[in-house]
Amino acid sequence: MAANPQTIPYRRIYVWELPVRLYHWINALCILLLCISGYLIGNPQKIFAANEAYQQYWFGWVRFTHFAVAYVFVFNFIFRIYWGFVGNRYAKWDRFILYRWDQWKELWDTVLVDVLQARVYGRKIIGHNNLAGFSYFVLFHIFLLQTITGFALYSSMSDAFLPRLFTWIVPLLGGDAWVRQWHHLFMWFFIVFTVIHLYLVFYHDYFEGRGTTSSIIGGWKFERDDNIKR
Amino acid sequence: MARIVVDPITRIEGHLRIEAVVEGGKITDAFSSGTMVRGIEKILRGRDPRDAWAFTERVCGVCTTVHALASVRAVEDAIKISVPKNAELVRNIMFCAQYVHDHVVHFYHLHALDWVDVVSALSADPQATSDLAKSLSNYSKTSVGYFSDLQKRLKSFVDSGQLGIFANGYWGHSAFKLPKEVNLLAVAHYLEALEWQKEIVKIHAIFGGKNPHPNYLVGGVPCSFNLEEVNAINTEKLNLVGKIIKDAMNFVEQVYLPDLLAIAGFYKDWAAIGGGLPNYLAYGDLPTKGYGFPDGFKLQRGAILNRDLSKVYEVNGADENEIKEYVAHSWYKYEAGDTAGLHPWKGETEFNFTGPQPPFENLNTDGKYSWLKTPRWKENPMEVGPLARMLVSYAKGSQEVKEVVDEALKKLDVPVTALFSTLGRTAARGLETKLAARWLKEFYDELIGNLKAGDTNTFTRDKWEPTSWPAECEGVGLTEAPRGALAHWIRIKDRKIDNYQLVVPSTWNASPRDPAGKRSAYEESLIGTPVAKEEEPLEIIRTIHSFDPCLACAVHLYDPDGNHIRRITVS
Amino acid sequence: MKKKIPSIEQSMQAKGYSRRDFLYFCGVAAAAAGLSTTSLGQVVKAFETKPRPPVVWLHFQECTCCSESFIRSTHPIVADIIFDTLSLDYTETLMAPAGHQAEKSRDDTIKNNQGKYILLVEGSVPLGNPGFCMIGGKSAEQILKDAAAGAAAVVAWGSCASHGCVQSAKPNPTQATPIHKIIGKPVINVPGCPPIAEVMTAIVTHVLLFGKIPELDSQGRPKEFYSRRVHDTCYRRPYYDAGLFVESWDDDAARKGYCLYKMGCRGPVTYNACAVTKWNGNLSYPIQSGHGCIGCSEAGFWDNGPFYQHLGAFPGFGIESTADKVGTVATVATVGGIALHAITSNIRKQKLIRENMEESVTVHPFKGEGGADVEAAEAAKPEETKGGDE
Repeated sequence: MAANPQTIPYRRIYVWELPVRLYHWINALCILLLCISGYLIGNPQKIFAANEAYQQYWFGWVRFTHFAVAYVFVFNFIFRIYWGFVGNRYAKWDRFILYRWDQWKELWDTVLVDVLQARVYGRKIIGHNNLAGFSYFVLFHIFLLQTITGFALYSSMSDAFLPRLFTWIVPLLGGDAWVRQWHHLFMWFFIVFTVIHLYLVFYHDYFEGRGTTSSIIGGWKFERDDNIKR
Repeated sequence: MARIVVDPITRIEGHLRIEAVVEGGKITDAFSSGTMVRGIEKILRGRDPRDAWAFTERVCGVCTTVHALASVRAVEDAIKISVPKNAELVRNIMFCAQYVHDHVVHFYHLHALDWVDVVSALSADPQATSDLAKSLSNYSKTSVGYFSDLQKRLKSFVDSGQLGIFANGYWGHSAFKLPKEVNLLAVAHYLEALEWQKEIVKIHAIFGGKNPHPNYLVGGVPCSFNLEEVNAINTEKLNLVGKIIKDAMNFVEQVYLPDLLAIAGFYKDWAAIGGGLPNYLAYGDLPTKGYGFPDGFKLQRGAILNRDLSKVYEVNGADENEIKEYVAHSWYKYEAGDTAGLHPWKGETEFNFTGPQPPFENLNTDGKYSWLKTPRWKENPMEVGPLARMLVSYAKGSQEVKEVVDEALKKLDVPVTALFSTLGRTAARGLETKLAARWLKEFYDELIGNLKAGDTNTFTRDKWEPTSWPAECEGVGLTEAPRGALAHWIRIKDRKIDNYQLVVPSTWNASPRDPAGKRSAYEESLIGTPVAKEEEPLEIIRTIHSFDPCLACAVHLYDPDGNHIRRITVS
Repeated sequence: MKKKIPSIEQSMQAKGYSRRDFLYFCGVAAAAAGLSTTSLGQVVKAFETKPRPPVVWLHFQECTCCSESFIRSTHPIVADIIFDTLSLDYTETLMAPAGHQAEKSRDDTIKNNQGKYILLVEGSVPLGNPGFCMIGGKSAEQILKDAAAGAAAVVAWGSCASHGCVQSAKPNPTQATPIHKIIGKPVINVPGCPPIAEVMTAIVTHVLLFGKIPELDSQGRPKEFYSRRVHDTCYRRPYYDAGLFVESWDDDAARKGYCLYKMGCRGPVTYNACAVTKWNGNLSYPIQSGHGCIGCSEAGFWDNGPFYQHLGAFPGFGIESTADKVGTVATVATVGGIALHAITSNIRKQKLIRENMEESVTVHPFKGEGGADVEAAEAAKPEETKGGDE
């Protein structure tokens, strides 16, 4: 490939602060563990079937893992909400709640460029674009619903303060059977989300080359100087 | 002429209403109405056929289990599986336990108060009652002290002024014929039976987990046998079943049957009353060689017409020309018009309530007047129940049945024709109980033998997964509820219930008339029944109770102008 | 006619029991009810001063399994309840009179004991059409409202009266309705199809002993019997924790009594006393006999099927669809969509890709002299990353 004589100035931008990056990876690990343990709770696999019950506790450990990780997930999530108020501009809550008309317009632009492929060129946005922000906004609600249904299912086995707060959910949703039903369905939302999320990371890096993938490790993104508003 | 309305008819299951026309002290016409509907057939559509037993079991909590049995059989018939020997035996044991329980409870708690005057028992002599009891059987509780304690308890109960379930009964009615001592004995056994009945159903709890409404399973039974494990049906549980069966045989032979024959002896006039329809239908049950071989049934299958015991007709539930249901007088409508008759596989359940809006005094019996459809066998109205079963098995030459029936007829000194009556119906139920208790033992012994031979299998696995079923199939499950012939028809499409129809015993017996105006069993049996006091319909409930109705009802009395007759207070 | 109605102590004396026997009886009753001896005085007072409370037991859309269950009670036995504990003035299943006389029993009790009788209701009430359930020419709704108005306490027996049960399963053709939605006063819900006999008699006894209704949860169920899941009290629970499951009916695992979770057991989502109080005189309960729990004391349990599936069918997706199947399909569809999107992107954005390539520079090995090469290499860094992505 011939070298391009023209020099394009790029700048390094600190987008994801350390707490945000930590939150992301803890969250990712939690979701992975919760999905695996949750799926196993719903569809236990036949292993060690010849043993006696007193020799093993694997299913109990799976459930313990699910409950313990769920607590980490919830407090991590609460921390992220807090950081939405004190973090940098890319972590702020107004990146996720679209309250201005131009945010919705930009969201539509993103749909046209990246989803429908109706246009080839689009605006480049540092941090989350508005479509992503909105998706995360929906995701946070699913986090919330998953937390609520999870604690509701857990509430009858616990005397602890936090889960007991959710006992009223069970009759509201029409009994434990329905809470369980929803809890399962939301898990699939996470799985679908993760698939899309991973794809889009590759997609953006592939077409934009701004260090999307590495940004969540080191925190830095790269942007053409002429794209940055001063 | 008076029109008597009895609504609710109590001491039955469900809601039943009888309207009867009385002329010259006798009933000249009668109308039977089921006044409650739930639409379970509609609810079943679109569901997993393997779940249907649980839904249909809830049709009735008194004859619990029988609908579950009919349902699993209908599905098994549709997807073509047969159950293992142990499953057949467990089902038979549960079946017989249900019969023994249900018939005893019916006799003492639902029917006895039609024949026994509780108030008269207060003045009985405990000594004479004790002597009587000893002369009737070897039952252990026959001491003078036992009867005088009971009498004291009864007295203080009456003295309390709170008569509870006995308040406003027909005490002192001229149709009560029993001596005081028999009344006291019957009251004692009313309480004994009430305590005993909770024991026999433990058989259901052992094999099915609970009673009422034990669990069934398509393809077998849900319990497992393991003689090396405490967590399954093992020797201890089987011993309990054995003990319960022994006690049941004792109770039936030493209490129920002696009481039945003693009481029947004073009511022989009822051997000429309440005969009703001359046609009898039984699907039969208790397979010994598998459900597909009716010849091996303990209770035989067949139909009798015009009381002709020399000929028993074949019955085939799958033949679309044999059993049909009509809705001419029922609160439903058919697409093909309300005079059409539909085989249950093609059955429809579409509500069409045309009755008066409550509160009302009378039903319009010229039009539709019941929530029951009207089933007919080859266009004939049929009576079903213990009497029909005993007659069919008797006529088909079953030795066991012949023996107990002939013995009872001899004891009471009445001819075979005495069976065609209210008393005959009540007696047939008792005789059947005696057989059921014996069969319990027989099936239990066979089960032990099978386990001893190493066969512990209770489930046929190969057709459990719906993916192994044909895309479309249909089946019929025939059985005998304690109250009579019961069948479920199912059509399965794409592994879901496409149509489900039940024809239950009380549909045969309690249904309204058919498009041709022919009465069903209840209505027909009331014709000619004497009514001593129009305000106290004791004789009506006697005959109706002899069928062991499976709905719920009430009785009102009307004078010819349709006004309520003054309510009678019983002190 | 106004006779003084004897208290339970008086009736016991009349039967030849001494005061000492009576106190012993109260102690046993208290023990059966799970009371400490300190509350014994209260029980004694309850039995000493009250005649047998009048009770009206109504029947609507039901199968009589609740009545049948009630008479199976082993402690107390039902004969003692009828003779010594309650004055069961109206119950269609057992009462001697029929028709007018039966209605008179009901109406008299209501009229003469305003505010003092206990109302027990078996069955749901159809609101679709009054003709769907009529007794004595009156609609079920009317009879219920009339009887509930003056009742001291109202008990809904079984899942029919508490939740509507089988007749209220979809499409609920008669609009079967639980009674708490019809009467405007607190109802003690005792769900189950049927409820356990001893639970039924205990709840009635609770009202009598303590003169008040038992502590209820948010769904109106007595906490005494409905605060625990069948699963959490099940004797097969250790097998669950050990991951030992029945995989097919009557397999080796079933014969060893392993957990029925994978056979669709509803124990984990069902609140009832089955695993502790058990059935028919503490003998067994469904799971102990080898069939999973079908969840009969839960609201709407008929529509949470199919029973042999661990998760219920997901509404709108057919009977074999669970949330997991819906989720799997969604995931597969997503992956398919992504594949399509990736291909389309590569075609549609070929120009962009080419431009990106053209922006890229070749990096020469560092020569140690500084100058243009180094600058070029630095400028090219991000593009290198991008190149690596390809």
